[in-house]
Amino acid sequence: MLEQNILFKKLDRTLLIAITIIILLGLVIIYSATKPSGLLPVAEALSTGDDPFAYVKKQMFFVLFGIGMMIMMLYIQYEDLLKHVKFLYVLNLIILGAVLIVGDSTLGAQRWIAIGPNQIFRFQPSEFSKLLIIICFAAYLNSRSNMLNRLRDLLPCFVYIGVPALLILMQPDLGTALVFLAIMFGMLFIAGARPWLLSGIIAGGIGTASLWIWAHFWLAANRGFELWIPIKDYQLKRLVIFLDPWQEPFDAGYNVIQSQIAIGQGGFWGRGLFNGSQTYGDFLPFQKNDFIFSVVGEELGFIGAFLLLVLFFVVIYRGILIAINARDRFGSLLATGIVSMLVVHVLINVGMNIGIMPVTGIPLPMFSYGGSSMITNLTALGLLLNINMRRKKILF
Amino acid sequence: MASAVLLLLIFRLVWLQLVEGDKLRAEAQEIRMRDVPVEAKRGIIFDCKGNELTSSVSVDSAYAFPPQIKDEDRRQTADKIAYALDMDKEDVYKKLTQNVGFVWLKRRLDRESAQNLKELKLDGVALVEENKRFYRQESLAAHVLGFAGDDNQGLTGLESVYDHELKGKPGRIVIEQDALGDDIPKAMHKYIPPVPGNNLVLTIDQNIQFFVERELDHIVEKHQPKLAVIIVMNPKTGEILAMGNRPTFAPGDWRQYPQSIWDRNPSVWYTYEPGSTFKIITAAAALEEGAVRTSDTFYDPGSIKVADRNIRCWYDGGHGSQTFEEVCQNSCNPGFVTVGLRLGKDKFYKYISAFGFTRKTGICLSGEEIGLQIPQNEVTDLNIATMSIGQSIAVTPIQLVTAAAAVANGGVLLKPILVKAITDPDGKEIKEFKPEEVRQVISENTAKTLMSLLTGVVQKGSGKNAFVDGYGAAGKTGTAQVVERGGYVSGKYVASFMGYAPADDPQIAALVMVAEPTGSEYFGSQVAAPAFKAVAQDTLRYLQVPERPQVEKPKLPFVYEQPKLKVTVPNLEHFPAEEAKNILLNTGFVVQSRGDGTIVGSQVPKGGVQVTDGTTVILELRLLEPGEDNEPTVPDLRGLTIKEAGGILEKLGLHIKPLGTGFAFAQQSLPGSRVAKGTTITVEFKEERERSGQ
Repeated sequence: MLEQNILFKKLDRTLLIAITIIILLGLVIIYSATKPSGLLPVAEALSTGDDPFAYVKKQMFFVLFGIGMMIMMLYIQYEDLLKHVKFLYVLNLIILGAVLIVGDSTLGAQRWIAIGPNQIFRFQPSEFSKLLIIICFAAYLNSRSNMLNRLRDLLPCFVYIGVPALLILMQPDLGTALVFLAIMFGMLFIAGARPWLLSGIIAGGIGTASLWIWAHFWLAANRGFELWIPIKDYQLKRLVIFLDPWQEPFDAGYNVIQSQIAIGQGGFWGRGLFNGSQTYGDFLPFQKNDFIFSVVGEELGFIGAFLLLVLFFVVIYRGILIAINARDRFGSLLATGIVSMLVVHVLINVGMNIGIMPVTGIPLPMFSYGGSSMITNLTALGLLLNINMRRKKILF
Repeated sequence: MASAVLLLLIFRLVWLQLVEGDKLRAEAQEIRMRDVPVEAKRGIIFDCKGNELTSSVSVDSAYAFPPQIKDEDRRQTADKIAYALDMDKEDVYKKLTQNVGFVWLKRRLDRESAQNLKELKLDGVALVEENKRFYRQESLAAHVLGFAGDDNQGLTGLESVYDHELKGKPGRIVIEQDALGDDIPKAMHKYIPPVPGNNLVLTIDQNIQFFVERELDHIVEKHQPKLAVIIVMNPKTGEILAMGNRPTFAPGDWRQYPQSIWDRNPSVWYTYEPGSTFKIITAAAALEEGAVRTSDTFYDPGSIKVADRNIRCWYDGGHGSQTFEEVCQNSCNPGFVTVGLRLGKDKFYKYISAFGFTRKTGICLSGEEIGLQIPQNEVTDLNIATMSIGQSIAVTPIQLVTAAAAVANGGVLLKPILVKAITDPDGKEIKEFKPEEVRQVISENTAKTLMSLLTGVVQKGSGKNAFVDGYGAAGKTGTAQVVERGGYVSGKYVASFMGYAPADDPQIAALVMVAEPTGSEYFGSQVAAPAFKAVAQDTLRYLQVPERPQVEKPKLPFVYEQPKLKVTVPNLEHFPAEEAKNILLNTGFVVQSRGDGTIVGSQVPKGGVQVTDGTTVILELRLLEPGEDNEPTVPDLRGLTIKEAGGILEKLGLHIKPLGTGFAFAQQSLPGSRVAKGTTITVEFKEERERSGQ
């Protein structure tokens, strides 16, 4: 216990403060996004008298649960995880497989598993899966130093990640699958794979995908031929609609346009907390989760959005320092995976809010409403803090 | 890497929020097709007794949510709707098959159609309440009320000034139907009810306004003026009881009228030289400053010379010896000029400003003008002299009535108010407009003295026609020439009467202003005073003001003497024919020409003869004499402006060398002499033009 207390003195306070502010701000914005909008039902009675704090209360529960997980993570020796990698990898495949079999579907995708009495606990395995895959892949790469120079060496890595990624793609959850790839490339880079090789693979992959998508549309439009593509039509549309949302302003382009309008309305100082018209008028769908950044942009303006980004930057920057200063290669890779996950989430989520990334259901870490995501992120950050506590030397 | 991501995101944020923000906002408005506004019910405008002057009546509009109508039902639904709303089946079907979440079927339905549609109870089709503005009294107080456009937006008058109160807050029908954009399993339509607008309670009294409108109609019928204004004010509160203008329009049907009629309210916009009605202000200032006492005597020989210029009395031959009281009753110009000059420019300007002529009155109507004064540092004695009789100064009707009302309110100037209160849709008062004192302009004593002088004007002088039976009246007539393009135009007058009744304790102060009456009558006493009498008589009876049995009716009505306005016929011999005609027409003569030719040969009456204004001048035209095209005959240029003289000489092939400015009084080559073409003729000009006023 004494040792643990000494370790706790080495907790990264900057990181903790940034996380705390992000979470608290998130709670406020979730309230703003979910408070009753003053809309009255016209035909069908909308359930009135809802608790305006319902979502905030739930989110607070998730935060507390997440903090519990985070503290638990501080008490383990992260090297111990190496012993359980096989179990974790299989567990990951099981929960991802289960979701395909017994999952709840929302909007044509099976992403949820409901358990407990009346199935009150619904969770999204793909969220937890990200952390599991980071742990497993870090262990995998840990044993393969200096064996990543050739394309041939990388192929087993692709298979290792590819299996769970494919299961996620089958839900279908394209966004999370892409996050997997981003995490993988980030970790491969730190693990010592050649940068040029990785760049080539990424460029080739993006090129092939772009060409495939383009050919799919071109053939459908000009030849009436449906070129097979491994994702569903609506996903495809969402994937490309950000390029020209006005093509279908009421359908696929709706979210993209509405979120940009919301952010644009914010201007420099914003319209004031709880004053967003886009939010108030319920024009913005998913405003409490995927598009919550738009609410920040509208209500708190550029200044609020900028500060939020700075907070994420602080978290990521501290994470990078932790990865650099980790005691061992495993810790370094683990931290890299976690940082990659955060970077990719912030980039994709904020990017889709501001119209430079395709719309994929990726939440903003620690900020969007949602239990699975919050718990996963806090657990991951717990691991990050753990790696920092056990670093080789004191930072600075 | 992380920094690059951060920078990328921040750049885009800057672009969206700081660069493109406005454009996106505009787009937000456009995309709200799924956010259909529902008009709020516009507030009612009441008169001071609670009568509705304008209100909104509810009408139903029909709309549909096409996605809610099943494909197989569309044809049938379209037919039913078409039948109920008397529309084309194909049109309705097209609307129902549009790929939109919401579509208007028909707006502002008649009651029967709405009932038909209601009975059909079709899925995805509904009615929403919209409004139609209804002006109960047609054109009553049209300029005051103004009107609201089709989109519930006040465009003129109080409808525009108080648009923010009247319009309420529009509601919306919000449609969420996007399969991607929504986790609500079924399309949900929400209705945000509109918030109805607030009501205005005016100071206008519908009945008094009606008297005003009636008299304006009489004036139009009898005198066909260019403009006419009557404003009735409660001098004790500044409340406008009635305000009417001609020409007028019907707010409910405004598109039928030219814009120049409905876009400005002459009561606050028309700027004119008030003439003798302004003598009220001159007298108020002079009495307050002790520059004159009622018993002071004046001698009027028929004109007064100020700085080399003769200002004539309207009454040829003059009023002779008279007290100031009689000066007022006779509206004697030389008397008032003397008083004005005694007062001096500093004090005169002090009162012009104190009575509010240098500012807008602040009445809650848009388009108010401010009048015109010669800047104090440029003013000459001659200007002061003419300003004393209400010329060389221009005012608006509302300025004059507001200033003059102060005399009836113990010398306290009030702000004119038109809106008494704003009430919420339930009739609860939100805001009250109380009488607002601007300043004490003259003392109570001065005000009392002046009121008795003005009572004398009606009792014994030029205002007799304004006498209100049973109540008496005080006031002042005015007849001023209209100024156009820098000069007075003869034959164009503004006739007015500024009056108060009853004389002993004025309940109303009213201005009747008639601009450019046509026909033989144009004096304020003939044109305006009778209208004042009629309005005041009915208003006082309507307000149940007790009659004053002791008030004595003036014995003889005011008799109009033939206007003794003498004008001199210009000598037009040798003038080019067209120019000669124009000069005559512009100076108020009637022209007849005889014979063929391009040059005036002779004229009847001859140049230099004194005649009354409006006389016919016959021009005998002649052809050019032999050799005259190379050697034109010089005409008499006296009395012409530089521009006119220059134009005529040019037409004759001659040049002008002007000396001085103003009007020609001497020329180098004598009239009738022949000079070679191209000769330059020196013409001397000086400032001189005579004016007269009643």
